[in-house]
Amino acid sequence: MLRVDNLQVHYGAIAALRGVSLHVEKGELVALIGVNGAGKTTTLSAIAGTVKALGGSIVFQGQSLIGKSPEAVLRLGIAVVPEGRDIFPSLTVEENLRLGAFSRHDRSEYRNDLKETFELFPILQERFHQLGGTLSGGEQQQLAIARSLMAHPTLLMLDEPSLGLAPTLVSQIFGLIVTLRSRGATILLVEQNVQRTLEIADRVYLLNTGQIELQGTPAQLKAEGSIKDVYLGKAK
Amino acid sequence: MFTFEFLVTAISSGSLYALLALGLVIIYGILKMVNFAYGELIMFGGYVLYLVGTYTRLPWLVVALAAVLGAMIISYLTELVAFRRVRAKSLTALLITSFAVSTLLQNAALLIISPRAKAVILPPVFSTSVTLFGATIAMRNILTITISIAMLVGLTLLFRYTILGIALRAAADNFRMTRMLGVPADLVISSAFVLSGLIAGVCSLFWIGRTASVTPTIGLGPLIIAFIATVIGGMNSLVGAAVGGFAYGLIFSFIGVLLPQVLLDYREAFMFLIVLLILLFRPEGLVRSKHAEERIG
Amino acid sequence: MKTSRLTTWLSSYSTILILSVPLLILAALTNLLADYLLLRIVTALFVSLIVVLGMQVFMGNSGILAWAHVGFMGIGAYISAVCSMTPAMKKIAIPQVYPFLMQLHLPFWAAVLVGAAVAAVIAAFVTYPLMRLSDAAGAISSFALLIIINSVLVHWDRVTNGPRTLFGIDELTNIWIAVGCAILVLILAYLFKESSLGLRLRASRADYYAASAVGINITLVRYYSFIISAAIAGFGGGLYAHYITSFTPNAFYLTETFNVLAMLVVGGTLGISGAVVGSLAVTIAREGMRAIENNINLYHLLPFDVIGLTEVFLATVLIISLIWKPEGIMGGREFRWRPKAGPQEANLKSADLAKRE
Repeated sequence: MLRVDNLQVHYGAIAALRGVSLHVEKGELVALIGVNGAGKTTTLSAIAGTVKALGGSIVFQGQSLIGKSPEAVLRLGIAVVPEGRDIFPSLTVEENLRLGAFSRHDRSEYRNDLKETFELFPILQERFHQLGGTLSGGEQQQLAIARSLMAHPTLLMLDEPSLGLAPTLVSQIFGLIVTLRSRGATILLVEQNVQRTLEIADRVYLLNTGQIELQGTPAQLKAEGSIKDVYLGKAK
Repeated sequence: MFTFEFLVTAISSGSLYALLALGLVIIYGILKMVNFAYGELIMFGGYVLYLVGTYTRLPWLVVALAAVLGAMIISYLTELVAFRRVRAKSLTALLITSFAVSTLLQNAALLIISPRAKAVILPPVFSTSVTLFGATIAMRNILTITISIAMLVGLTLLFRYTILGIALRAAADNFRMTRMLGVPADLVISSAFVLSGLIAGVCSLFWIGRTASVTPTIGLGPLIIAFIATVIGGMNSLVGAAVGGFAYGLIFSFIGVLLPQVLLDYREAFMFLIVLLILLFRPEGLVRSKHAEERIG
Repeated sequence: MKTSRLTTWLSSYSTILILSVPLLILAALTNLLADYLLLRIVTALFVSLIVVLGMQVFMGNSGILAWAHVGFMGIGAYISAVCSMTPAMKKIAIPQVYPFLMQLHLPFWAAVLVGAAVAAVIAAFVTYPLMRLSDAAGAISSFALLIIINSVLVHWDRVTNGPRTLFGIDELTNIWIAVGCAILVLILAYLFKESSLGLRLRASRADYYAASAVGINITLVRYYSFIISAAIAGFGGGLYAHYITSFTPNAFYLTETFNVLAMLVVGGTLGISGAVVGSLAVTIAREGMRAIENNINLYHLLPFDVIGLTEVFLATVLIISLIWKPEGIMGGREFRWRPKAGPQEANLKSADLAKRE
């Protein structure tokens, strides 16, 4: 569904991505792991259109994403939940969700979507009229995901959803991701929490200093054993 | 001294200034840009009033509508032609551009019309007055209050309940994220400019209504007021802008009465001094918003 | 091959030479041609250059727009005028003038320097709080300052004769004084840029937090730099007053702000070469357009008078410049003589700082 080939991104003179290639098939939960600064967020940003790619190709369902604006990428069916949640603090939960549905043209869908949202995220129904800025970190994370789901994306990209959350909430979020997956969602997950990620992902890419170092199923990667080295800096 | 008449005048000014400030903050909230060309939108509205009013025999209401539409269109055009292409560059470049646009519009008026003031035809109702509670109140003031408040209410409804309003507020919170939800950036920004023009157009009716004439430099006065009002009230919230406008109107009226005659000329300078003081101790303005402007140092 | 110390030193300060010599030649040529109008234009060019350089000192190195800059030019102009006018002339020109001011009668240079000093002092008193403000608040406050200065100039008629024209100032700024002072200010601006203060200011522009982390007191650095720039503006104002011999407060308000901004931005804010190039370019454009405008009006080439065409043209040029080349013609580079590279080149502390910005 999504095919990234030899993606290169530069921030000024610094090469953030030096030829990243990955692919995501329908219904898969693909994870992108790596240390801080490896280029995980940059990869997502390049796909989402918020960062310009210097070279390489990004093809989604037959269409090239290179040079497309973030709005266009969303309309093609890719939704991003960025690192740090980025919910709108001065809008209520309801308004956040409504905006998530901006690209939907069917008004009646909105009510059904809300019902589904409340099933998955009961806390949001409780806080429906509260300002986004007053929600806790975990609640904001749920709101961010729910908001992106309102757009009915074909591919959902999550950037470090467990960042800064307490362990119980982390479990909650990971449980949520599994639930979404079981409902048929296609997910590209960027995470630093390697252990939990390996538990739930179908396939994993290990990114290090702008390049894919390892890839495969969690079992394969565990057998390989060098993940630890990469994370602790022992690898090249 | 503080008669009912005085109060009405103060509230009339206050509500007009609140509206003025709002027009400025709408753009600032999203683009973080102080639009120096905002005053010229009012000037443009004034000139439309002059041209259409003088050269056609249309009823005044239609002329007024033309003025408001004109302000909206010119505001949209300034964004389309100038600001859109500088947006991606630094904020300083954007500021200078708005100043350049302001200069351009002012001198275009000078060039195309005349450097001399032009008389604007006002509807007869602007010169009538009513007697309320034993005081003579100018109809113009009552109209200013009602229309301004109606606009403020209308805009509040727009911001709160329409999807466009929600998108505008979201863009002010986090522009990038708004785009990532599929909201077109250009649509949001153009809408903000059109709204700003709408407000400026309405304000021009009442601003020009005071003097019944328009000059190329007429935009400077309202611009300064909008500046002061937004700083007093807070540049990061719409409510703050409105509060600031009212506060300015009231403070200005009271200063006018309380200052000794000698210093009266410096009233405007005084207002600016108050601005500077407020910025010293409370850079975010009077109305606390979620994300105060970063103060350096 | 080792480059000699002389060569090194020459390269560092070659910018000043490269800029000064054409200015001197221009002054000499204009003097030779003895065309009155040209003389006036070129003298005005040199005076404008001083004011633009003043703005470059602060804005170019700090990245902050100083809207009030031209206000300080006005302060310098009025103060120097009041100091240098004869008591008799003051009695006529400023009917309500304060007695102690009327008695004051200073020679030209003293008057101009007093004007600059007063501008600096006022800047010192008023602008410290502004240095701590962020973008929007800072922009509005410095604009507010410009308005306040103008308001005071317009209303304090016992000193300025109010909104009415102040006339009767002796025309003491000739073309050689103008170009000489311009070159002096050029050197000053250059030295500032390369000085410790200038370096710290430029650091704060490049990366605010990194600069703070290194221990630079950014507010203080900006404050001192602004005072210097205000002094230069005041100095330019004093020279201006004695060139134009009569003016109103409006001469130091929005129109002049626009002119100075246009010159600096079109030329390039990041270096003194930009200030020179921009002043030249804008002056040529403006005088050219003005000539066209005047001729159209004089010979009735069009059925109506064109007034304001020059400003519309210049504003358009500025906008286009911002869209296409916001870094200006010079793009932050300075004119510099670079000798053949040798091992000494690496020691030149100022060699490529201008380019790296």
